[in-house]
This record gives sequence, structure tokens and C-alpha cells, in this order.
Amino acid sequence: MSEAMTTSILSDLISGAKAADSECVLAQEAEAFLTENGIPSKKHEDWKYTNIKRLFDNGLELISANDVSFNSVDGVETRLMASMPEGRQPGFTGIHSKEAHAALNTALFEKVLVVRVKKGTQVSDELILNQAIEYAGNHFAATRLLIELEDNASLKCQLHFTGSHASEKSLHNHVTEIFVGQNSQFEFNIVQEITEGNLVNTTEVFCQRDANFTTNTFQLSGKLLRNNLNIRLQGENAETHLNGFYMLKGSELFDNHTLVDHLVPHCESNEVYRGILGGKSTCVFNGKVFVHPEAQKTNGYQQNNNILLTDNATMNSKPELEIYADDVRCSHGSTTGQLDEDAVFYLRARGLDEFGATALLLTAFAGEVLNSVSNEELRNILERKIQAKLKEMRV
Amino acid sequence: MSLLSIKNLKARVEEKDILKGFNLTVNPGEVHAIMGPNGSGKSTLASVLAGNESFEVTDGEVEFDGKNLLDMAPEERAREGLFLAFQYPVEIPGVSNVNFMKTALAEVRKHRGLEPMEAKDFLAFMREKQQLVELSGNLAGRSVNEGFSGGEKKRNEIFQMAMLEPKLAILDETDSGLDIDALRIVANGVNKLKSKDNAFIVITHYQRLLDYIVPDFVHVLYNGKIVRSGTKELALELEEKGYDWIKDEVAAEA
Repeated sequence: MSEAMTTSILSDLISGAKAADSECVLAQEAEAFLTENGIPSKKHEDWKYTNIKRLFDNGLELISANDVSFNSVDGVETRLMASMPEGRQPGFTGIHSKEAHAALNTALFEKVLVVRVKKGTQVSDELILNQAIEYAGNHFAATRLLIELEDNASLKCQLHFTGSHASEKSLHNHVTEIFVGQNSQFEFNIVQEITEGNLVNTTEVFCQRDANFTTNTFQLSGKLLRNNLNIRLQGENAETHLNGFYMLKGSELFDNHTLVDHLVPHCESNEVYRGILGGKSTCVFNGKVFVHPEAQKTNGYQQNNNILLTDNATMNSKPELEIYADDVRCSHGSTTGQLDEDAVFYLRARGLDEFGATALLLTAFAGEVLNSVSNEELRNILERKIQAKLKEMRV
Repeated sequence: MSLLSIKNLKARVEEKDILKGFNLTVNPGEVHAIMGPNGSGKSTLASVLAGNESFEVTDGEVEFDGKNLLDMAPEERAREGLFLAFQYPVEIPGVSNVNFMKTALAEVRKHRGLEPMEAKDFLAFMREKQQLVELSGNLAGRSVNEGFSGGEKKRNEIFQMAMLEPKLAILDETDSGLDIDALRIVANGVNKLKSKDNAFIVITHYQRLLDYIVPDFVHVLYNGKIVRSGTKELALELEEKGYDWIKDEVAAEA
């Protein structure tokens, strides 16, 4: 055993990590995937601009994550535990056998927060989760979330990643697996605000027939934030809205990789990602819409719009549509440009000062994403945070 | 004391001289029309007075209400009471007319030492001014100029002018492209806002507008300078004879 431990890919990658438990099939599968594939470097197309491997090369040390905090909401079962007694299990999406960071998470997470909404339950209050990320050194921690809406259920949930003291050498790895049952509605708002920390966040979603899944991701601060969001539309007439807003300053690097997988006919996906880049920041948007041969009558829309405030900011935008069905409506658009100077002058000619005019235009630009958050209180909080960051950026 | 005094104003854009010694004095209560052929410098004059930084002022003085206008940022000029109705109003997606006017009016009022209006008063004030230019209420809730017709955009400019109550308004070809009904609405708005304390500079290609907004003075701008000044009869003469006789006369004088 001791020999197996010293040769495990896990301990090679992260000091303090042990080889996968031989009793646990899931961890074994994850470890096997990692052994074969390793952590992707910048040579890998999906990681071309985002060098996370660097953190592993510098050395990471495994620690236990802070427990996720959550409120108690009528109609929602929430349990934070090490293993699962019943129902869908972590790994049900199979993501740990497809992607290295999800595999790493699967091999190393200690506790999973399970959120379940029973069949027919319409939850009125919003579930609010907060994952604190406060790491002093080169710490690595993995957290896991499983959200299951049974049929005819509805839920709104916020997931906040927060931290003001995360070290720039640390890495937090989070995986959320989501099952949206038949005719269920789920709104999932993700807010990332971790100052100097690094985060890799994977969200894998299975949508069943007539399900509606909306997700809005807000990236407000972090040294490096990488989101992998994969939505599989598995049942007919499923609908998904995936939106994102990011604002970057200094040398921040935010990366959103999204995939909408249209597997069956009559589904709809709608994607809007927008962002504002300042300083010497770097940002990546890669949005893939995959329409399988069976997925006739698909409606797929995608839009990515970026505003660069400085000459030194870099946007890498790559829409990818792969369509194998012949009766579909799909479109995409990607724009990257400067703030409209004519609009700034127009506002100034009405009495707004330069910063006020710029802030009004940029807040309006964020509006299309902000307005898809249904909770007015959250929307107002986010708008204030966006304005506060604009002040910091002093555009 | 005059409201606006422009002396020997010279301005250029991208190395090209456009205004070549422009002089004009405007007193409170007056309406001045500035006419001229394409490329004579009419819109440059409007842009320079509003503070558009794409234009470089190379010489001259502009005094507005006793202050040096050219020293002020565009927003200071607006707060001091100068208003430009844009030839091409800009579309601003995501910013509603209500929010825009609330912000702009608060800035202008702050400059005049006034608190922002109460929400209820503001909305009533806004409704009143909308009616002045026959803009429907739902346009006010929509994004600024987005999806507006040409006529709606121009009426929206006059609406904004009515909201901000400037001392001097410059209308840059506000009449161009308007049908006769829209033209009447715009002119009617201007006439209702006219008082002994404010003044208007109406820049136009066409005499037609001046049937509705009657100017005290008509100036002909040609090649960056005023070459003729007169009363509204001058506009009628221009309408009848075109600009060529002015060009010929100017050439003969030179």
C-alpha cells in the first residue's frame, strides 16, 4: 500500500494527497483519468490562455476546505456529509471521467453538500450558499455540491465564492452537479469575488424534458477564475439561459468555457456573456453549442460582447457552433471594442461628468445580464458592486 | 450684457481648418438663424460650442454669460446653461430616458445649488415636458433614442432641452429630414420655451423651419465665416436664389 501511495498521481500533484481509496469506485475512476491525462498545460486547446498548471508546478498542499454555509429554506433538503445514503450520487454526471480538474475534485473532496427538492415542491425562498475561500499559502482545497430537483419542482439558488485573504498561490477547486427533473425550473446565480485567489469551478447540468435552467455568473474579483459550464439538454422542450458578466482590472484573468449540448429535438438555449476589461487583464470566452444529429428544431442563440477600457487588456473570444442537424435555428455574435465615445460626449453634453457618463454606459452594458437575475435585492447588490469596481478602475 | 460673444473663432478637425474667424453676438431673448451651404462649418460651430474634443480651437474667444466657455469641459457648459440639440442624436442602449433625464437634471440642479427633485415632482415635470413635444409616455421608459424614428429622436432632443431649461440652445439641423407635422411639433416646442431670458441659435439648411421659428437675425456662414447678416428676409432670398449668388459676391469682394 505504501508504495501505491507514493506513486499515486494525486500525491504527485498535491502534497498531502493520498491515493484513491481502493473501496471507492468513483475516486478510482477519477484517479485513473488523471493518471492517463494529467493536469492540462497551455498546450491543451481548452487551456491555451489560462495557465493553472503553473500553480501545480509551484507546489500545492492539500487542506480541508471551509464548510459551505447555507440558510434553511422550506421545501429544500440540505445536508453536508462525507458520503451519501441514497439518491443520485456525486459523479452521476460522469464529469470526473471527462475533465482533469473535475477528476481531481472527485478524488479529493471531503464533503458534499446535497441539495434536494422533492417532486412537486415549489420553493418560494431563495437558497443562499456561501463558500469562503481564505488560504494563507499554497493551499489546495476541493468542495462539492450536488443539486437535484425532482420532477415538477422549482428552486432559486445563489452560490457565492467569497474571500478577502486568499493567497495568489492557492487554488480552490469546486464542482457542482445539477439534475433538473422533468418540468422543473431552476435559477442558479453564481457570484465570484475572491480578491487574489485562484478558482477553478466546474458546473455540470443535466436537464430533463420540459425543464428550464437559468444560470447567471458574475465574476467580480480574483487572480484567476476559470468556469467550465456544461449543460446537457437531455429531454425534449428543455430550455436553458446561460448568462455571464465579468469585469477585470490589474492583471486579473477570468475564463469562461461553456458548452450547451443539444441532444434531443425542440430544445432552446440562449447565451449572453458580457464583460468590461481594464488594466492589463486577460479574459477568455469560449462558448460551444453542439447540436447533435437527432436534435432537430433546436433554437440556439449566443452572444459575447466585450468592452476594453485600456490598450493593454486582452480579450480572447471564441464562439463555436457545431451543428449536425439540418432543421435548426442557431446564431452567434461576438464583439470586442471600446466604449462609444459619441455616447460619452452626448451624456456629457447633458451635464454628466466623464466618470458619471462612463459609469452609466457601462452599468447599462451590464444590464442585459443583470436583468436576468430575478431577485431584485441581489440585482441591486451586484449593481453596487459593479459600480464600486468601476470606481476602483477609475475609468 | 450679451449672453454669448464669439470673437474671431478658428477651429479645425484633423488638420483641416473649418472655422476661419467667426464672430457672433447673441443677447437674451434673441433667435439667430445660421444658414449656409454644406461644408461651410455650421455643425463644426455647434460641436465646438458644446465642447466636442474632436475639434481643435486654434484661435479666438468665446464668452458665455460672462465666463470663458472654451475653458470649460462639455458637462460644465451644459450645467452653465448651454444646450446642443444634436444633428445625430446618439442611441444609448440600456439607459432609459427617465434615468438619463433624472441624472442629467440632478447634475444641472446641483450646479445651480438645488436639491434633486422629489420622484413624484420629477415624473410630473417630465410628463408636462413630454406633452410639449407630443412624445408618448412609453417612449420615456425606453432606452435613449434606441429604435426611435428620425422624428422621434429630434423631438426627444427638444424634450431634453425643455427639461434642462438652458439659457442658450443651439439647434443643429433639428429640422433636417422632418416631415411637416414633426417640424411643427419641434417648432412649437421651441416657441413655447422662448422667453426674454433665453436665446436660440438655429442652424439649418432650409428656410422652411424659419416659417415656424421666426428669427430675429439670419446669418450666412460660408467658408468658415459669416458673410452676410440680415433679418428673416435674407432667408427667403436664399431660399429663392440658392447660395451661389453669395459665393459669387464673396469671390468678387475678395
